[in-house]
Amino acid sequence: MIELSIRDGRRKMVNYFSLAVLCALAFAAIAPLFFIFAYLLLRGWGGLSWSFFTEIPRPVGESGGGMANAITGSLVLMGLSSALGVPLGLACGMALSELKKTRTAKALRIAIDLLTSVPSIVIGLFAYALVVVPLKGYSAWAGGFALAIVMVPIVARSTEEILKLVPSAVHEAGLALGLPRWKVLMRLILPGVRTGITTGILLALARVSGETAPLLFTAFSNSFGFRGLSSPIASMPVQIYTYATSHDETWRQLAWTGALVLVFVVFLLNLVTRILTRRKI
Amino acid sequence: MNRSPKGSTNLSGRANIGDRVFYAGLRAVSWTTILLFVGMLIFIADLSWIAIKETGWKFWTIDDWNPPMEIFGAAPFIVGTLASSAIAVMISAPISIGTALFLREIAPRKLAGIVAFLVELLAAIPSVVYGLWGVFVLAPVMRDHIQPFLATWFGPETYFAAALAHVLTGIAYPFLLLADAFGMTSVTLVSLSAKMMMFSQGLFNGPPLGLGLLTSGLVLAIMITPTVTALSREVLLTVPDSVREAALGLGATRWEMIRLALLKTGRAGLIGAVILGLGRAIGETMAVTMVIGNRNAIPSSLFEPAQTMASVIANEYNEADGLHLSSLAFVGLSLFIVSLIVNLLARTLVRYLERGSRA
Amino acid sequence: MEPTLESPVSPKLSVSDGSALETKRLSAWFGDHHVVKDISLVVQKNDVFSLIGPSGCGKSTFIRCLNRLHEETDGASVSGEVLIPGAGRRDNIYASGVDPVSIRRRVGMVFQKPNPFPGLSIFDNVAAGLRLAGVMRRNILDEVVEMSLIQAALWTEVKDKLKKPGTSLSGGQQQRLCIARALAVKPQILLMDEPTSALDPISTARIEELVMKLRNDVTVLIVTHNMQQAARISNQTAFFLMGELVEVGPTKSIFTKPKDTRTEQYITGRFG
Repeated sequence: MIELSIRDGRRKMVNYFSLAVLCALAFAAIAPLFFIFAYLLLRGWGGLSWSFFTEIPRPVGESGGGMANAITGSLVLMGLSSALGVPLGLACGMALSELKKTRTAKALRIAIDLLTSVPSIVIGLFAYALVVVPLKGYSAWAGGFALAIVMVPIVARSTEEILKLVPSAVHEAGLALGLPRWKVLMRLILPGVRTGITTGILLALARVSGETAPLLFTAFSNSFGFRGLSSPIASMPVQIYTYATSHDETWRQLAWTGALVLVFVVFLLNLVTRILTRRKI
Repeated sequence: MNRSPKGSTNLSGRANIGDRVFYAGLRAVSWTTILLFVGMLIFIADLSWIAIKETGWKFWTIDDWNPPMEIFGAAPFIVGTLASSAIAVMISAPISIGTALFLREIAPRKLAGIVAFLVELLAAIPSVVYGLWGVFVLAPVMRDHIQPFLATWFGPETYFAAALAHVLTGIAYPFLLLADAFGMTSVTLVSLSAKMMMFSQGLFNGPPLGLGLLTSGLVLAIMITPTVTALSREVLLTVPDSVREAALGLGATRWEMIRLALLKTGRAGLIGAVILGLGRAIGETMAVTMVIGNRNAIPSSLFEPAQTMASVIANEYNEADGLHLSSLAFVGLSLFIVSLIVNLLARTLVRYLERGSRA
Repeated sequence: MEPTLESPVSPKLSVSDGSALETKRLSAWFGDHHVVKDISLVVQKNDVFSLIGPSGCGKSTFIRCLNRLHEETDGASVSGEVLIPGAGRRDNIYASGVDPVSIRRRVGMVFQKPNPFPGLSIFDNVAAGLRLAGVMRRNILDEVVEMSLIQAALWTEVKDKLKKPGTSLSGGQQQRLCIARALAVKPQILLMDEPTSALDPISTARIEELVMKLRNDVTVLIVTHNMQQAARISNQTAFFLMGELVEVGPTKSIFTKPKDTRTEQYITGRFG
């Protein structure tokens, strides 16, 4: 009896100790978020001004200037990548859920899975080979294409997940009304799950808004503002990278402020998707 | 009477015309995407063609990268990638799995929701922002505090280094004997032990620079933690409640239940989650490029600057041409293949787990 | 208290004889599994025709063959003929070149569980079939939606909240919404696959009442696992067992003097 209770005492101690360790580990997981966010505010907040959003950067050594070119550039790139990535991703998601167990769907699922795991710099190489080389130069097209490939698997996955939640009975109800399958899907099912699909698209946008690696040698950069889709184009992440690695104090300041704005936008997109997801349930 | 039971009616045969067009469209889109993926491999292989012809498979073992001399070997980057990812995984795996367990077993629902959301936000922060933070905040702290501390306790001439050398020699010795039996090596126990000693002594050696292998491993650990946590959480959710309750019903403490029911049942899946995290770390580019120090040589100390496969492409691609450009593409191709293998491995493990839990 | 149920449905295409539906040697399979075996029967116009039998006897599969929904399942196949009155003559819905989509507009269906389209309003649920068939005129849609909801005995309950999502209604109301949705495309025949099995007794009673009124406008085939229900609402009954049609006839005679001993055993509750 006594021995047993000693053992029990030890077991209890091990238990509490281990649970405390788990709590500490969870704290360690989220602590960096606060450190990063605190420094973004600390270093970036001071640089926030109207001119940050409206002016293009000044040459090295001159103070002032902003990231207007990078902001418009990022918007253009996100527009371009959505124009290709969203329809393609949606179609792949529908194909995954509609073609079910056919060979096509199986192959597509593997392709999408592997596409998710391709390092984004490799996607940049692909866009370089496919767009930059034939067009003989960096361009917004190439950057948009690279980002679109990043978007496709995210949109496809979330679309498939959402469509899987719609019971087959709802499909059958549509079919029983004398509607062809495609109309049931496009006009009755999709509108019903638009919130979920929007969520997936927003998440994909949040992801590509911060992507840097695929843009380095596709969209490249330019410090003068928008010059058409066939020219190099600036973007927030690439600009932040360039400025962060520069030795100019003004530019570093811009990098911090840019990072703050970028993170703010990304968090906002995440928050919106979260609210949408909750409302859906 | 007029139709055989099999294949008498099916969608492709007599479906509505609109449906036939629609499904053909879906198939076309599917194959376009599949082709896109295959095309990626082909196009990058095409970019690397000059380098593949010039250097061949030796590319992976040559430990020098010297563009002006037209010497291109990827070994420094492969070592840099493996070392930084390994550090990341070693730090991140316990934290991630611990957090997943915390979310499932300890935190009340509300707190779990908040913590899970914060971890998600960590995943949303762009890589370049991690890099910025790493360069200007983390690196100075590493240089001034953490690296001197590590050098004092684990650096050369410490008990740790000596002990590590002995342990490593012990692990490697059987392999040495095996190789010796086949007459494949001339390494003796003395020289093996000397090598291990050099490795152990060098691990935390050198001036604390801040930027380098260790710092990049740490940044990577922070970056992959959300991924590994989320995946571990999913794995833990597949463990049925009945298994947990069975353990608790036996009089197990909560921690014993975690070990018995959750960790054992979910082992394959958790390993899969960690390997997927490894895959992310291997391919991660910007943050690493910014904090690893960019030196094209095999590092001998964790404090030394290094270079990964991804970071060398990011650093040099814009200024490269000819064989240099092609060699960088070859590095990219190697990176592509490595991450495919790592991911397939992880997926196989997860599938193995799914089959196991169903049986 | 209900609005009067004048037939809002336009007269059907002319039918030479009184039959609304006839099957000839209809068989259905799931893969190699023969679940409906050589069924031949005739349903008269304006019948309420119930199909009874133990679960797994093929009655649901049978009616899913009548609007060609069975073939939408993976690995399913069908043989035989199903004849319904068409433009002057009787059409075999399985004849080659027949578009299943056009058949389903003439043969509506209500399912076991209420399945309104998620995210669509009550109005849009009822209007879905017409709209997607190309009817866009607002006044026509308004009229048909109202008529269908009146027919489905739901109008008074929902007329002030037509913009609310269909999924916000109670289970019984959702099922009546699904009936209204099916009626809106003005089918000749309405198939009901155990429409009350997911509902409480009060909602069930309302649906039964509704079915008995519907027979003025449309021929109803109803699958039920509830013999009392079949006895209450139908005038013809067919008894299925292991995929075969054992007996068919007027409901009264099936329940009072069945000819087949297996029918007798079933209705007296000795198996199933």
